[in-house]
Parts: sequence; C-alpha cells; structure tokens
Amino acid sequence: MRQSHVVACSVAILAAFAAAQSQIGRTGPNASVTDFVRFVAHPDNIPVGLPSRDYSLPLVNPYEGNAQALKTGAQLYVAYNCIDCHGADGSGAMGPSLADSRWHFGGTPAEVFESIYEGRPDGMPTWGGRITNDQIWMLVTYVRSLSAGKDVATENFAGATVERTGH
Amino acid sequence: MTRRLTIARFLILAAVAACTPSSQTTARTDSTGTAKSTGAATSVAGTRIAVPRTTPAGEWQMPGGDYSSSRFSDLSQITAANAVNLRASWTFSTGVLRGHEGQPLVVNNTMYVVTPYPNVSYAIDLTQAGQPLKWKFRPENSQAATGQACCDVVNRGAAYADGKIFYNLLDGHTVAVDASTGKQLWRTKVADLTRGETMTMAPIVVKGKVLVGSSGGEMGVRGWLAAIDASTGKEVWRGYNTGSDRDMKVGPRFKAFYAQDNGKDLGLTSWPGDTWKQGGGAVWGWLSYDPELNLVYYGTSNPGPWNEGVRKGDNKWSCAIMARDADTGELRWAFQVTPHDMWDYDTVNENILVDLPLGGTTRKTLVHFDRNGFGYTIDRATGEVLVAQPFVQMNWSTGVDLKTGRPNVVPEKMTAEGKNVKDICPSLEGGKNQQPAAFSPRTGLFYVPTNNLCMDFEVRPVSYIPGTPYIGANAPEKKGPGGHGGEFIAWDATTGKKVWGIEEPFPVWGGALATAGGVVFYGTLDGWFKAVDASSGKELWKFKVGSGVVGNPISYLGPDGKQYIAVYSGIGGDMGLLIAGDVAANLPYDVRERGSTLPDLGRWTSWGGMLFVFSL
Repeated sequence: MRQSHVVACSVAILAAFAAAQSQIGRTGPNASVTDFVRFVAHPDNIPVGLPSRDYSLPLVNPYEGNAQALKTGAQLYVAYNCIDCHGADGSGAMGPSLADSRWHFGGTPAEVFESIYEGRPDGMPTWGGRITNDQIWMLVTYVRSLSAGKDVATENFAGATVERTGH
Repeated sequence: MTRRLTIARFLILAAVAACTPSSQTTARTDSTGTAKSTGAATSVAGTRIAVPRTTPAGEWQMPGGDYSSSRFSDLSQITAANAVNLRASWTFSTGVLRGHEGQPLVVNNTMYVVTPYPNVSYAIDLTQAGQPLKWKFRPENSQAATGQACCDVVNRGAAYADGKIFYNLLDGHTVAVDASTGKQLWRTKVADLTRGETMTMAPIVVKGKVLVGSSGGEMGVRGWLAAIDASTGKEVWRGYNTGSDRDMKVGPRFKAFYAQDNGKDLGLTSWPGDTWKQGGGAVWGWLSYDPELNLVYYGTSNPGPWNEGVRKGDNKWSCAIMARDADTGELRWAFQVTPHDMWDYDTVNENILVDLPLGGTTRKTLVHFDRNGFGYTIDRATGEVLVAQPFVQMNWSTGVDLKTGRPNVVPEKMTAEGKNVKDICPSLEGGKNQQPAAFSPRTGLFYVPTNNLCMDFEVRPVSYIPGTPYIGANAPEKKGPGGHGGEFIAWDATTGKKVWGIEEPFPVWGGALATAGGVVFYGTLDGWFKAVDASSGKELWKFKVGSGVVGNPISYLGPDGKQYIAVYSGIGGDMGLLIAGDVAANLPYDVRERGSTLPDLGRWTSWGGMLFVFSL
C-alpha cells in the first residue's frame, strides 16, 4: 500500500537522521562528510516509479461484484460530474477514457481507489475526505466495469462508434 | 464537393476586380517589408476595414492582423492566376501534439509561435536559411490546468506591442516576454484555476494595456475581461459579465440599444438567487478595438449550467456582445444575442469591424457570425442590429425580431430537464465556432468557415462542485442535412446572403485569411490547406499537411521580398479531440474509440504539431 510505503520510508528517513545526529554527537563538528554516505546493497530488482505490479495494495473493494453498488456508482458518476470529464460510458472527454482497459495509474480496485481518493496531477480532483470512502468504492466498482471485455487496440473503421458530447 | 454561386454577384465582382489596379505589391510594400499600411484599401464603394493598419503590411503583429480582426493581408504577389504554383517553403515542429488553434506573429523578420499547453514560445529568425531559433521560452505552467480545460489545451496566440510578446498560459497567468531576448518580463495571475478558470484566448494590446479573459463556461466560472498594464504587469481594471452594475462597470455611460436591455443590476436580476456567481459568460474568444469610438468589443460564453432550469431568466450578460471603454473598462453597450441560452450557443466568436454601405449611407458596423447560426451586422457605436440572417441550416429559430434584437424561438426546440429534444440545428458547436472569419475590402465579402452539425439534447440534474464541469446535459451530435460536415462560405453582410460556398466533408474548424491578391486561404480538419478565388470560390490549389488544421493562416513578407503564407497543422480543440476521439493515437493509457459524429475523421489525420509556410 502506497500510504504505508510512504510512512515506512518516512520512518526510515527519520531513523537515519537520528542516527546521523548521534554520529555527529560522537565525532564532533569536524567529522568528514563521507561518514554519512553509506551504500546499501540491493540484490533485488528495483522497480520503476509507482505504481508497480511488483507489489499489490492490500485494500479490498467491499463492493466487488455487487450489482446494487454498481448501479449506485453509475449514479454517483453523474452526480459528482465525473461524466463531463471522462465522458458518457467513460469513453473519454476532457479527462482520459475509462473504457479502454488502460490505466495510467494502475487499474486494480485499490489503485483506482487511490486515484479517486488522492487525485492525479493532470487535474483529477482529490475526492478523499470530500465524499465517503464507501462512495469511492462504488465509483471504483462502476468505473472498472466500463472496460470489461473491451479491446480497443485496433481501430479498423468498420466497427461500432461511441457517442460523445462536446463543449 | 460543390460550389454554389450567385452568377450576378460574381459578374459584378469580376467587373470590379478588372477595374482595380493590379500593381498592389509595388505600390504598397517596399523591399524591406516595412511599408506603410493600406488596411483601408477599398474596392467596393462604401466598404472599408474600420481600423487601417498602422503596422507594416508585410508583418502580422496581432491575432486578427489588425484591430478590426479583418484577417486581411494587403500583400498581393499571390494571385488567382499564380496560386497554382504555391509550394511548401519550410516547416517547423512545435514539439507539442495538441490542438494548434491560433496563429503565429511576424515582426521585424522574426516569427513568434506559441504552442498549446505547456505554452512554449519560439522566436524564429526568418533572415537565415533553415530558420534557426533566436530563443525559446518555457514558462512555468501548472499541469493541473490540463484537466480543467474543457476543450483541449489549446492557445489562440500572442499579441506584439512595444518590443514585447504577450500571451496567456493555460493555468491562468498572462506573461510578457522580451521579443528580442525571450526573457520573461512579468507573469501575472489573472484567473483562478481552482474554480475552473483556464486561459486559451489571444490578448490584444490597446494603449499600453493588455486585454485578457478566461475560459471555463463549462466549469461554472463567472466571466470577466481584465486590463493589465503592459509595462508593469499590474491589473488596471476588470469588468465582470454577470453580477451587480458595480462589478460589471455599468454606470451612467451605459446605454443598450434595446429598451429591455436597460435597467439596474440586470446582471443580478436576470438570474435566480446567486446563480450568476457560477453563470459562465467567459471570455475565451477574440477581441477587437475601434480607436475612434475607443471601444473594445468581445463576446461572452454560454451561461452555466447547460441545464436551463437552474437559471430561469435572460441570464445577462451571457451569450452577449460587449462594448467597453478601452481606458476605464466601463460597459458602454451590450447586446444579448441569445437570451437564456439553452443550446450552448456561446457568443465568443470574433467581431469584425467594417464600414459598410447600408440603406444609402455608410454605417460603422460590427459583423459577427454567432454559434446560434445567425450572421449579425450590428451598428458598432450603438449595438443596433441592422441585419441578422442565418448563415447555416438552422431550425431552433424562425428569425431575429429587429424591433427587439431577440431571436424567435421554435417551442419544440426548447430544451428542459426531463426532455430529450431531437434534431436541433445547429449543434452546440454552433454554425461557426472559434475559427475566425476574414474580410476583404476588395470584394466586400466575409469568408466564413462553418459547421453543418445538428444534435439531440437531453438535460439532466447537475450540482456545482468547484473545479469540476458544470454542465447537466448530454448532447450527441451528427452531420446536418446534406451529409457534409461543414462549408466554407462567402457572405455579404449588407444583405445577409451567402454568395458562394464550398462544402467540406468535415466541420471547417480552421480560420480564414483574405489577401489583396484575390486569394482566400483556409485549412480543413482532414488536413487540406487550400487557396480559393475570393470572387468565385473556385479552388486554385491545395496541399495535404501532416495533421488536421484548426489554426488560422497569416500572410507576411519575407526578408527576401516574397509573400509567404503560414499556418499551423495540428488537430485538436473540441472538434478534433473530444468529438473525433480516435485521432489521438499516441497515449497508451488513453485509447479512444471513434465517435459517431465524425466516424471517419481518424482515417484522414492524426495528432501533430507543425507550422507550414508556403510561397510561390
């Protein structure tokens, strides 16, 4: 989980800082700066930036597969104006498509929860604390349903089209 | 593709053209390209561009070419006879792949280009082979803005004045850059991104003030026009488009032409409760200026939200043409083109200032092609509507009542919550959108890129959440009667009649350029850049550029004394990005299916970002 990851990192940094402080205390102000450079061996592969498939968030969607939550999620998608950014049926508008099985910030239920909860730098608002976590999970349920079974990799100009609303 | 032509009109124009001296280039432009202006050149009696250019004819210093927004170039080396010999001279990649609306500037043998977000600007040295850069400027520009812009992350260009380049950043700042060094001189926050305000419009500079407005008519903003001191970057005045007379700068000098448009605090009383605070009326289009009347003209966007039930009343001054005192910002007159809009018919399209012969006299007019489908010829001193006729196919209104200036609305085409109104023409993209028209005093005609689109409109409840869209409707669009997506037309604003038209398969989303050589230029969404005969509409030449054209051509004189035509290629904007969808092919995490409105557009073009320059 990213939050716990961040917390763990913070704790580690604080601990290192405390250790450095005590080092200063022991060796005095004239200690060489190289004393603080400690290399740590990493026998494992270091993954590229988050999100990574090498770890999974322990968050579980309580509404996974819940038909009523899916329906409520669809209503919330309209009520919170998600529809006018991401398009009817999530086909993309101001914001990216949610109906293409492709996820910029990860597509697991926990990752989609995080995107809604935290917001994203391209203008996705931070909804955490503004709407309930339950509502976010219902949105996750609905949003993830939009790309079910979709494969949009090929466009051969013979297949179906989607309706879009412009501005 | 078909051409329609009023034969009688053509014969008259041909005769006029034949009687006009043809040595325009030598007469009007010296070899250094710093010749005197002749913006007032008149070929049709009683017809002239209102504000003659005071800048060299071989340059392009402001977005519309001149304060009148005529987009007329006095250069005439390229003619109907030799346009067939046009060829690409050089190109430049902007490094950005989003909608390239707007146009470059040319000043002192330097071309200035502003890209879509992240709004990088380039100064290109035209005196050297290979066109090297003099500088590039990469402004600070919040990434969050990209998700607050309704209709792609476009920028409609810069303005030049007194050795400085002025333009807007998507994240709500206006910047001034030293034209010779590329150094930022000032950067002023004028719009509030957290309330959905972004900036895409092109400023103009009037008497040391930079005039700017914001986008966000779909985000529940409250629109305004602001003046910034060009030297210091300090805001001098701001006039809101909704709210109290005080906020709107309405005082004793305000006089609307129509009785119903006068009264106290109309920007408050024509809205229920506090709805004016999120009522839209944004200023994302084009500005014009008449120095004699000292009036700045602009249009305001749709009211928010699209769900009209939330905001019963006229919703002043959304969907209106506004005339403000350029020094003080006072509102002098206003005319609401579409009171209580319920179709998203913004009025932000350009206002072209031209003196025209009407009723036996020469009138100071403003010509405006509105999203609502009517072409308006308006007295620019008073706001009186002189002519209002449909320039595209429409069915929402039976005409404009010249006694009140108001359109007669067809009741079946009124939208409301709980209704899904079918087949409204034009669609919410309008008979014309941001793509600016051009005017030629030599033909007396306006050259207008238009859309032929209709829509269904289903209204749904909506709540205002700052920083999210405030819309409340689904409105899928389709091509209008005839099956073509758009038409490039020539328009006589004295009669309100189309003179000729060139049907295009897609909406014509790029602007027009008229030239003294009798050649008119425009680009298409499917990537054709075309030269047509100004009198007849006959196609003279075309070139397939790399990506669809949503930008506006300009003409300039190179250091070599040759006439050049420059235009951006780079599909995007509302039509190219949101509606077509699948033309965006380069984002692995955002793959879009093609839209039903223009299902074939993606066959003809993909994203791009190039400047193309043509010459004989």
